[in-house]
Amino acid sequence: MKKGYSGGSALPADKRAQLTRGTDDALNAQARARTGVRAAQTGRRIVQNVWWPMVSIVVALALLISAVVVAYARTGDGSHGVSGASGAGAHSHISIGLQLAPTNLDIRQTSGTALDQLLIGNVYEALLTRNEDNTVSPGLAQSWEVSADRLTYTFHLNAGMTFSNGDTLDASDVVWSIRSMMEGHLQGSNGVANFASVSAPDARTVVLKLSKPYSELLWNLSGRSGLVFDEQALSGADGSGADASGADGSGADRSGSAYDAKTQALGSGPYVLSAYEPGVSATLTARTKYWGEQALNRRAHIQTITVRYFADPQAGLNAFTSGDVQVLAPISGTLTGAIQNDARFTYKTGDGTDKYVLAFNNATGGGSAADGTAGVLKDKRVRQAIRYAIDENAIIASRGGTDAPLGGPIPSLDPGYEDLTGLYPTDVEKARTLLAEAGYSTSHPLRLRLMYANTYPAEIGQQLRSQLARVGIDLNVQRVEFATWLSTVYKQRDFDISMVDHNESHDFAQWANPEYYYGYDNADVQKLYAQAMEAVTDSERDSLLARAARLVSEDAAADWIMNYRVVTAWDKRVRGFPLTMNQVNMPLWNVTFGTESAGAAGSSVQGGAQTARAAGADTATAAAQGGVR
Amino acid sequence: MRTSISRTVARILQRLALFALMLWIVSVVIFLALRVLPGDVAAIVAGTNSTQAQYEALRTQLGLDQPLIVQYGRWLGQVISSLWTGDLGTSLITGEAMSTRLASRAAVTFPLILLSMVIALVVGIWTAVASLTSPRAWVRDGLRVLAQVCGAVPALWAGLLLILAFGRGSGLLGVLPTQGFSSDSLVSAAASLLLPALSVGLITGAQFSRYTRSALLEVEKDDYLTWSMAAGMTYAQAVRSTGLRLATPQIISVAGVTFASMITGVLTVESLFNLPGLATILLSDISERDLPAVQTELLLLAAFFLAVGFVIDVVQAWLDPRMAGVSRGTEVQS
Repeated sequence: MKKGYSGGSALPADKRAQLTRGTDDALNAQARARTGVRAAQTGRRIVQNVWWPMVSIVVALALLISAVVVAYARTGDGSHGVSGASGAGAHSHISIGLQLAPTNLDIRQTSGTALDQLLIGNVYEALLTRNEDNTVSPGLAQSWEVSADRLTYTFHLNAGMTFSNGDTLDASDVVWSIRSMMEGHLQGSNGVANFASVSAPDARTVVLKLSKPYSELLWNLSGRSGLVFDEQALSGADGSGADASGADGSGADRSGSAYDAKTQALGSGPYVLSAYEPGVSATLTARTKYWGEQALNRRAHIQTITVRYFADPQAGLNAFTSGDVQVLAPISGTLTGAIQNDARFTYKTGDGTDKYVLAFNNATGGGSAADGTAGVLKDKRVRQAIRYAIDENAIIASRGGTDAPLGGPIPSLDPGYEDLTGLYPTDVEKARTLLAEAGYSTSHPLRLRLMYANTYPAEIGQQLRSQLARVGIDLNVQRVEFATWLSTVYKQRDFDISMVDHNESHDFAQWANPEYYYGYDNADVQKLYAQAMEAVTDSERDSLLARAARLVSEDAAADWIMNYRVVTAWDKRVRGFPLTMNQVNMPLWNVTFGTESAGAAGSSVQGGAQTARAAGADTATAAAQGGVR
Repeated sequence: MRTSISRTVARILQRLALFALMLWIVSVVIFLALRVLPGDVAAIVAGTNSTQAQYEALRTQLGLDQPLIVQYGRWLGQVISSLWTGDLGTSLITGEAMSTRLASRAAVTFPLILLSMVIALVVGIWTAVASLTSPRAWVRDGLRVLAQVCGAVPALWAGLLLILAFGRGSGLLGVLPTQGFSSDSLVSAAASLLLPALSVGLITGAQFSRYTRSALLEVEKDDYLTWSMAAGMTYAQAVRSTGLRLATPQIISVAGVTFASMITGVLTVESLFNLPGLATILLSDISERDLPAVQTELLLLAAFFLAVGFVIDVVQAWLDPRMAGVSRGTEVQS
């Protein structure tokens, strides 16, 4: 039967005229409709029978979806939950929207300030605490002394310190953390230059010795260099701290068993990391017994904090305006208009140490041998011409005007800052003259390549291209993946001009190190930097660094496009969120989320921000009472 | 009868062998193609403040200093052994187990695709039928034009419009979440998938509508409908019963291909709605140069595409025995 009709009409085409055959086909189709679907033989109307398979497919799919979602909901950790809480009283939960997610949690191996931002001061703690103005204050160490020759640092630790798993934190943990960091060349080891030894005369004293004075040491010990880890928890039984992976992954809360440092974190801070989904979210839960409540007068006010990552600025803004997150940092300067007139929200620009460095290849001088321009950037006139030609203020204005101009390698929050924006003001005529002396003009342009990572906006490259075209430089802009930039520029040094946001603080050492990718080799700068590191007083250090920075800028070793500043937007009921440098240092213990609106802070954005910060401490007690329930 | 069963078994075995061979070729191509990418995961982990020694130590630790053939063998061994161990290894960069990582991402992407497909099929087939059978001319023309216009709209734009219309906090009717995936409850999970699924589903539905409509017209051109009407049906009945039934194989094959391609096709929507799905993970793994993870993900995608093609063949053979005859015939010839 089947064969009977499949022969006749396998692939019908263009048979409108062949009525007879068409008749056969139609009848065949009718016949198949009856035999193919058994239900069709019941004698009921055919119309109904066409729809029931559709309906059953829909129902089956719906059931399947439900099953998958329910299964996921059971196994899921709920870390990416949407907070829609709108109950009365102070909230015990808050969601914070950030942009850059850490690649993994292994803060001893993995670079990137997103890790510092999430973990330092919240989960991990350092010997010293970094303040909002980028100075240091007591942390795990309640006090310290520096010897007269500045070679011996003695730290006195707080009493009764514990890790979140209950393990005691004492001088032996500090010694082990620093020692294994130095021996394993782990992240942070650069921060303890001239390291000689570290020892623990007793359980509450740590002595760190240097071979040569190093004036950045204390500040560095407030960051990665000074983090203290639980040796037993990190290394398991064998004590080899460098390789913490390969653990069973379930031991985060159990003493004595190794935890997987890439996916878990265990420290002494006010929060524990209770859930983590890479690139998506992290959940911080307040510790029940935080040692610092007495010793540091610090206690976590909010029980649960969900940190969510939005790579797309628009997505972050949508989450913020819809109330899925109560804080958004950063919010793009061009998007603040969306919340400007919304009474629920406020925002403020905070200072930071992000430097958009347009670095020249000082080592090779860039250019290409093919058109005879090899080494062209070794010509100071060319570098100066580029600096005169670039209109940094126009770029800043196009981004919403929240960033600050920056004339040299040291930003305002770092030691040695001096306003150097006057050294190379925008001056197109001067740029043309200098470039003409070097032999290039708009009719005979100099071809140069600019390579930068696509994590930075495309507009900057186009603006630079058109600004430099005015004076006779044909800039070929290559916007590549960060990995490509790392390989081509940072490792192989195959570039003319590079742009990157160097967001680290206290990083002037890059200009005193000819091995760095800038390839900048200036004996005077190196000498001044070395003197600054051996300086006895901070003011002496600062003035030496300022002199070195001025030299670097005068030499036009790079152009500093701007000091990127983070705009933080928040729900007015949130208080105590750090606004300065919060992309590097974001301690959250002081954050509260109450129902009261910011009171006097309602009218002006600036006022609102300041009140919110100042009021943080006062409202803390009330919030905590409400939060305990 | 017995010969037909053994023939079926032989055919399935043949298909499986072909499947394995294709996957192996794909694995080699994927592995080699990815080596062209500049940079490596060790450089990403080490960052811009590291020394060369630090970088070299990481390369050794991550096994990147091994010869390519060793790296390939290790990866292929892992993938093959995962068939019975279920262990796809760990991500070099995040340190998570690949299997749980992919499963948690698939638990977002697959429900999203299924929901989108349901919306697309219901909308597409209904509008296609209505655009032929509605008694009002303006409805017929309107639906046809609407399908043309909506089919040309990018899902991203549709998503933005939907956010403006329904997004909580920013939309006209602030009712639905627009950001992230919540697994707190079934309702909240469905709610977080509804807008993304609508933005993909409506657009795909418009495309389905056009495919279905032209398939129905094809059927009509061959006079099936005329003869169904001669047998006593109204035109609408003829379209719904005879027309749709004869157009089903075409709709199925379009739906199958769409289903497979949606895995990466929902990428823009996943990023717009900040959903932690498969497409976003693939992109981030590529940009972070976690090549073993990318290899595994691409290989699974290839396997999925091949499997869907296989399923479509089987379903079509079941729906239309003529197709089974045709495809068997071509296989014998080839």
